[in-house]
Amino acid sequence: MGPAHKGAQHRGTAGEPEVMASALEGIGKEGKKESSKKRSGSPVEGLLQPVKLSRAELYKEPTNEELNRLRETESLFHSSLLRLQVEELLKEVRLSEKKKERIDAFLQKVNQRIMRVPSTPETELTNQAWLRDGVRVPLHQVPYTVKGCFRFLPPAQVTVVGSYLLGTCIRPDINVDVALTMPREILQDKDGLNQRYFRKRALYLAHLAHHLSQDPLFGSVRFSYTNGCHLKPSLLLRPHGKDERLVTVRLHPCPPPDFFRPCRLLPSKNNVRTAWYQGQSPSGDGSPEPPTPHYNTWVLQDTALESHAQLLSTVLGSASGLKDGVALLKVWLRQRELDKGLGGFSGFLVSMLVAFLVSTHKIHTTMSGYQVLRSTLQFLASTDLTVNGISLCFSSDPSLPALADFHQAFPVVFLDSSGRLNLCADVTASTCHQVQHEARLSMVLLDSKADDGFQLLLMTPKPMVRAFDHILHLHPLSRLQAACHRLKLWPELQDHGGDYVSAALGPLTTLLEQGLGSRLHLLAHSRPPVSEWDISQDPPKHRDSGVLTLGLLLRPEGLTSVLELGPEADQPEAADFRQFWGSRSELRRFQDGAIREAVVWEAASMAQKRLIPHQVVTHLLTLHADIPDTCVHYTGGHLDALIQSLKETFSTGEEALAAAVRCYDDLSRLLWGLEGLPLTVSAVQGAHPVLRYTEVFPPTAVRPAYSFYEQLQERASLLPRPDKPCPAYVEPMTVVCHLEGSGQWPQDAEAIRRVRAAFQLRLAELLTQQHGLQCRATATHTDVLKDGFVFRIRVAYQREPQILREMRSPEGIISLRDTPASLRLERDTRQLPLLTSTLHGLQQQHPAFSGVARLAKRWVRAQLLGEELTDESLDLVAAALFLHPEPFTPPSSPQVGFLRFLFLISTFDWKNNPLIVNLNNELTAEEQVEIRSVFLATRTKLPVMVIITPQDRKSSVWTQDGPSPQILHQLMVLAAEALPVLEKQLMDPQGPGDIRTAFRPPLDMYDVLIHLSPRHIPRHRQAVDSPAASFCRGLLSEPGPSSLMPVLGYDPPQLYLVQLREAFGDLALFFYDQHGGKVIGVLWKPTSFQPQPLKASNTKGRMVVSQGGELVMVPNVEAILEDFAILGEGLVQAVEARSERWTV
Amino acid sequence: MVARRRKRAARESEKGILSPPGYSAIPIKFSEKQQSSHYLYVREHKVREGTKSSWPQKRTLFVLNVPPYCTEQECLSRLLSPCGPVQSVELQEKPDLAESPKEPKSKFFHPKPVPGFQVAYVVFQKPRGVSAALALKGPLLVSTESHPVKSGIHKWIRDYADSVLDPEALRVEVDTFMETYDEKMAEEEAKAKEEEGVPDEEGWVKVTRRGRRPVLPRTEAASLRVLEREKRKRARKELLNFYAWQHRETKMEHLAQLRKKFQEDKQRIELMRAQRKFRPY
Repeated sequence: MGPAHKGAQHRGTAGEPEVMASALEGIGKEGKKESSKKRSGSPVEGLLQPVKLSRAELYKEPTNEELNRLRETESLFHSSLLRLQVEELLKEVRLSEKKKERIDAFLQKVNQRIMRVPSTPETELTNQAWLRDGVRVPLHQVPYTVKGCFRFLPPAQVTVVGSYLLGTCIRPDINVDVALTMPREILQDKDGLNQRYFRKRALYLAHLAHHLSQDPLFGSVRFSYTNGCHLKPSLLLRPHGKDERLVTVRLHPCPPPDFFRPCRLLPSKNNVRTAWYQGQSPSGDGSPEPPTPHYNTWVLQDTALESHAQLLSTVLGSASGLKDGVALLKVWLRQRELDKGLGGFSGFLVSMLVAFLVSTHKIHTTMSGYQVLRSTLQFLASTDLTVNGISLCFSSDPSLPALADFHQAFPVVFLDSSGRLNLCADVTASTCHQVQHEARLSMVLLDSKADDGFQLLLMTPKPMVRAFDHILHLHPLSRLQAACHRLKLWPELQDHGGDYVSAALGPLTTLLEQGLGSRLHLLAHSRPPVSEWDISQDPPKHRDSGVLTLGLLLRPEGLTSVLELGPEADQPEAADFRQFWGSRSELRRFQDGAIREAVVWEAASMAQKRLIPHQVVTHLLTLHADIPDTCVHYTGGHLDALIQSLKETFSTGEEALAAAVRCYDDLSRLLWGLEGLPLTVSAVQGAHPVLRYTEVFPPTAVRPAYSFYEQLQERASLLPRPDKPCPAYVEPMTVVCHLEGSGQWPQDAEAIRRVRAAFQLRLAELLTQQHGLQCRATATHTDVLKDGFVFRIRVAYQREPQILREMRSPEGIISLRDTPASLRLERDTRQLPLLTSTLHGLQQQHPAFSGVARLAKRWVRAQLLGEELTDESLDLVAAALFLHPEPFTPPSSPQVGFLRFLFLISTFDWKNNPLIVNLNNELTAEEQVEIRSVFLATRTKLPVMVIITPQDRKSSVWTQDGPSPQILHQLMVLAAEALPVLEKQLMDPQGPGDIRTAFRPPLDMYDVLIHLSPRHIPRHRQAVDSPAASFCRGLLSEPGPSSLMPVLGYDPPQLYLVQLREAFGDLALFFYDQHGGKVIGVLWKPTSFQPQPLKASNTKGRMVVSQGGELVMVPNVEAILEDFAILGEGLVQAVEARSERWTV
Repeated sequence: MVARRRKRAARESEKGILSPPGYSAIPIKFSEKQQSSHYLYVREHKVREGTKSSWPQKRTLFVLNVPPYCTEQECLSRLLSPCGPVQSVELQEKPDLAESPKEPKSKFFHPKPVPGFQVAYVVFQKPRGVSAALALKGPLLVSTESHPVKSGIHKWIRDYADSVLDPEALRVEVDTFMETYDEKMAEEEAKAKEEEGVPDEEGWVKVTRRGRRPVLPRTEAASLRVLEREKRKRARKELLNFYAWQHRETKMEHLAQLRKKFQEDKQRIELMRAQRKFRPY
């Protein structure tokens, strides 16, 4: 070997660890951290340690200040942790003093620039030629002709209003609202009529915009709508340069005080004349003009800007607790996407609500922010503003309109202090109900003693797609114009200035709510987003305001029925029912003899029943609103395809699982009644995923075609044949059979195994004799073929784990110590059956559990990580979504449940928290606190992923053997990547596209790919991208005689993996998707590729090379790659070495 | 890869096969088709003076790194038979001196483990075999046309067929085992009965659980139970909140609890701040 060669080799080895590290990116780092923690137990970053305080510190005399703080915490907050969290959150969202100074300086400059804008001569309103090029009027002027004159004069007054002054504005988007009082000279009498005021307002802004856009002070000058109202544009100013993101100043022109007469703007008055609006000459037939309550409110809002600001500053001004409370409420609303758009529950609204609660003495000014939040939520949860409106006005002036008048005009009523303006004018009933629903959920959370209420309440976002069971998009929005005409909403259109989206919203939601009836828990709609546009462009059209998205929260108990029962045929209501349901309504005679109107939906399986709302929605929208089903994009069952078997595309497998469970029930009855066993059967328990409804692909009855197999007649069994494709995979379902107690059992582990074997034999014999079932007994189990399903019965002896645990100390004292064998036995015969029956019960309560758990498992396995996590641990994570859904409600559709699974996996802090799954609600709050503290104290001894159940409070049985920290990290990364992709697809109104994208695993991280031949993959058809054709698997389609035991548990890829892991487990990791994966991913372990000294116990698969004159051992990679092919002869198609990382 | 292989081949021919000191390396391949080979590292089995070993000195060959497809005992003995007649082959997970060749395990209760890389002790009939094996050049071929070794699909199908066992044989085995077991138990019982109540030479009488009067079982759980009972008895007698200092102490204890909780909370917050957990969106 020449020196040059040696040098090259040297470099190669030096470079190698680095390359390795980058291969596992971050994972390795994580792993190192974990392992160093395990070794030394020294404090590690990112891990909570039990607090150690010295005695002197704990028991020193308290200071006054400390006592005060403790007392305050006790009386004003839930706990000290909550207090600290709230303080931190407020620090995060509050504006810093430094930034405030910069904003103040900017505001002053803005004020000067506005005052300097030159005035213009007076022109007709319709003559807009004076407006310079490069600026467009930010208003749809329909109809164009309108009387009146306009000129621009600098504003009479510039006032800052809104949350900035109060100090309740929250990051990240800081807005400062500035009211510009237009001088009286601009306005004329009757400007309140026919949008004249709004036209002038828009022109005023247009002129202002033109001049301000010339100014280098501003980075951007754009138009937007005030709260999304299409008649009221506002001008957005942002500073130039690096401060551009700092603040947005919004300019709102408003009329001079007392310009409009309030009595002209009552909700019952008309201010938009029909004749003008429809472009006809006044007909004069004296028909009453329809009232324009929304139009009136928008005008009134402008007049009240300052008085509202004053009211809020007097109430909130001095009380810091109230300000904190308002800030928290704003965060709360924002996390729930309630605060944006027209008719949103904005921060202003919530500030006014707090002011109302202060005035009614429900909130006191000395309360803490947390208490304000709590009281406000309590009020929102208990008050329905759609029925009982509230008012800030306490005068008993008889000229003021009554609350009832407002209730007639608006769905939600909350009057301001003048008693004439409804602050909630644009809020729809659905939004109000949604707020109420959220407040109720939050109150439950606050009342419970769960200590992470803060996280769930204020830090967890609730986007629509994750909060609602089903989502539907209406697209394109222009269809709503036709809907308005169909629903006869002309007065509303006139009132809304032609905004057909908001005009149609209320009636549409009411229609759907009525139609969905008992299936629906809550219906919510997205609010059109507030658009921003450049001043040189026309304002966006109504149809461009995106998509209207409706979210349905379903009631699981209502989902099971396919019938919509109407009134009896001779009742007068029958006509209404017929009119409502149209052609779908038919007369039916029921079992009790009644003849009724009824609607019946076609749905045979659970999956189809879950999608009945889709049928209802499309039917009603076509019938009543003239929206064809091509415009309704319903997202509810897109993910179902992934857990459907190929043959039954109408069902997601709940039915097949139920059939298997029924067969198991029959079998357990046979076992109970078995005669002739020396001991009677005391309990039969299922211990297989099928028996808790969480097997991804449920088993079907097997009917083997004998010609496909080799027959072993003397054992009545079938064997696979090498010349045929691999036969269908049949997995026996494990059933644990307990026998009654007896003193006759031997007390020696080996002897017990023999006795158990004798029982297995006897069981097989008796089942064959008494019930004619085909059985096969081995030393540990008896396989039984019943109605095409195969069960694996294991006899269990209760005391066996105990006996395995017994150890005799030298003094002769018998002590109990856990051994691997005893733990395994305990898990298989006691914990697993218990878990199976508990989850079986959960499925009865929550019909969507099966779907969610199976989708979750499907996804994890498709990412090739299925074998690192036990089946049970994933089932428990899925169960946690149902038992601890906060801040959501338990999922009623697999889709939303799966999204939340991904969210949980990607965000849960496994390092510092156990996942407590409170099955059957057996753990009390105190016990949970205890569990958490024990967890912290023993963290280093526990597995990376800790799942606690009432039956398993300390050890986390199901995650003991994995995943490793690296795998868990990888899983979290994958989930974090999949979630946004999937949510984006589901929220896309054009349809989700290829929904399987999120299920396809990334393969570029693996060092070696082993491609398998589909001929020997028995579950080939289950693959995520299901092949169009596969091989015959030796099954008959019609029932035939089956007295021979089918081939059980024969899955070549699995057998291959076991061999690979046994032979090369310390050199590499192997990843595979058991559901029809065609590829095994191999990842070399970086540590085992370090050259190692010679050791007799460490030669596995290695060879000796000389390195720098020293003999060391390195993996014999080339031979190993060939071994991959040899061990899997017939199964392996190709071994593809993809990286050169293993260069040694 | 091809380039590397060529390089490797060149290197090997240049230097011969490297082996750890004291061992010699024998290349081994699955079949003619395999290009690169694994290496068996072999040496004579030796133990230090005084250590017991069940394998005969001089005649035993110690083999490291036996590949997973070479796990049938016949296979290794066939490969090494050119060196001299082989008496026995013992394959193990790890090198293990103390264990002697075990009696064959029941195939019903101890299913065959899946093999990985193993070590082997090969006992030749004559010491000459060992030295011949050490000089072996190879490469050895595991599967040849005359003696094909099954792997992959064929192996799995055979394994599956083997796993379908005869229940009758199982019954016979269980019955024989239980008979011996019962005999053994009966013998022990008889012996215990004989000793019952008979004092030994120092006058001690052994008390067993089969005695006339029941005694406390000698288990850890039982002794813990006794301790627990004692503790409870003592606690019942104690008076709480009776003296002023007791009051003071409970108050102080409460304060200490709060302080401890506060510290814990602060730590938690610190951690969350570090993880940027307070960014709401």
